[in-house]
Amino acid sequence: MQGSAAVVGVGESEYYVRGRSPDSEFQLACTAIERAVADAGLRTSDIDGVVSYMDSRNDPMRLARALGLGDLRYTAQPFGGGGNNAAAAIQLADAAVSAGYAKHVVVFRALAQGQFGRFGQARAGGAGQVPGAFAWSAVYGLLSPAQECALHTARFLHDHGLDQEALCDVALACYANAQRNPRALRHGQPLTRETYHASRWIVEPFHLYDCCPENDGAAAVVITSGERARDLARRPVGILAAAQGKGPPFGSAAFQPDSFPGVFYKSVARDLWERAGVAPGDVDVAQFYENFTGPVLMAIAELGFCEPGELGDFVADGALEGPDARFPFNTSGGNLGEAYIHGFELMNEAVRQVRGESTCQVEGAELSLVVAGPGYAPGSAVVFAP
Amino acid sequence: MSRVLGDDWLLPVLDEGNREFFTSGRIVLQACASCGVVAHPPDEVCGGCRGRAFEPRESAGRGRVESVVVVHHPVHPALAGAVPYAIVLVSLDDVPGVHLVGNVRGTAPDEVEIGQAVRAVFSKAALPDGERLRVPEWEIVAAV
Repeated sequence: MQGSAAVVGVGESEYYVRGRSPDSEFQLACTAIERAVADAGLRTSDIDGVVSYMDSRNDPMRLARALGLGDLRYTAQPFGGGGNNAAAAIQLADAAVSAGYAKHVVVFRALAQGQFGRFGQARAGGAGQVPGAFAWSAVYGLLSPAQECALHTARFLHDHGLDQEALCDVALACYANAQRNPRALRHGQPLTRETYHASRWIVEPFHLYDCCPENDGAAAVVITSGERARDLARRPVGILAAAQGKGPPFGSAAFQPDSFPGVFYKSVARDLWERAGVAPGDVDVAQFYENFTGPVLMAIAELGFCEPGELGDFVADGALEGPDARFPFNTSGGNLGEAYIHGFELMNEAVRQVRGESTCQVEGAELSLVVAGPGYAPGSAVVFAP
Repeated sequence: MSRVLGDDWLLPVLDEGNREFFTSGRIVLQACASCGVVAHPPDEVCGGCRGRAFEPRESAGRGRVESVVVVHHPVHPALAGAVPYAIVLVSLDDVPGVHLVGNVRGTAPDEVEIGQAVRAVFSKAALPDGERLRVPEWEIVAAV
């Protein structure tokens, strides 16, 4: 039954600037999982399900051997190659434990881009020829997620009378909140509006600080049934609702007019609020995956927090910064400020908020939202609650 | 004319779905032979009627800038000499429902704006096997 599962453990490795991890990606994954399992008061032999996303390289059989897992009863990853499926991975684990296919499922994401190369790097191999669907964009120098998201963002800003300050406000909030979080890679490196505007362009309208860094690390949670959760060490954090997908019309590419400009979250939002039985205004604290600042703005609107034309005011004047923010947002620093663990660090933070353990704790936080990866479909989102 | 990104920049591997577009010197898209729905990029089953047979649909190559970004960071080393360059999305006046990715010839990147009218122009290129291409690009024809 939906809403019956709970997060009972969270853990992460140390986070590193890309290429600086002394551990391999697999070792990072094992560290995060070990810590999440220990946080739950469980043994690794209790774990019988493994879920990840984004074409994880860390095979469950190898993890089972290394960590001494129990009988593996459930392994899964959602379709799709990006952080947009972080909440879909939570949803898969929820489904597994709610249906009884597994008892204790670990959900994780690990990456060591120093070891395996950069996710955000241009996909073109080298000068020469490029085959298939990618040719339509690569021939014109459209190569990276930053450029793709910038095309949506430029038109969105234009249509709704928004300016560069709205993007800046998102970045400033992530950096400000990271100053409270010793785990954050940008801890001790505050960002000012002046520094933001003086930073180099990556692809207009994105400055350097509109783009998330590339990092190494791993984060994990343990999910079990609500019934089982009551017997464990930690206060359970329920999965009130999760949603994944994209509604019609389905264009044949990301830039087709039926869904441009946007982040493909309208149907996810509709399903999420309907399943959760709450409205956007009920949310106490929100984590938005920010690969780039622009998609965050579009996602705030598509999730129903305000109309697109109101976004400038919605994010202005520090409205997103700190535990007492008008809209408490990316309280650990997010992808920009804490670490870019393909958005799974946002799950740990969302759970910590409900537990009352955040370094930027929103007083009395109950409804805790994660929007997993605006800009790429199918998207996903999850609401946690006590 | 040279391509905006330089004559050495990536070219497509030609296939059934893109050969006309990149070689004909015209804007030619894929339309469903049954219901006429245009798909770009092309696909193998029509999203309008599930048809599997297609025919070319030619556009006069006039359109409008729907979005524009200016690339400053060359994500590929071969583009280090090409930045800053503009990437545009173009809609066509005579084929609704389609956005084409492209580059703009003859206008500084920071002078390309959403809403400007454009027309297709074609740059000559050749594949290693000698096949001749005419790569569609765009020129601004009027201010907003």
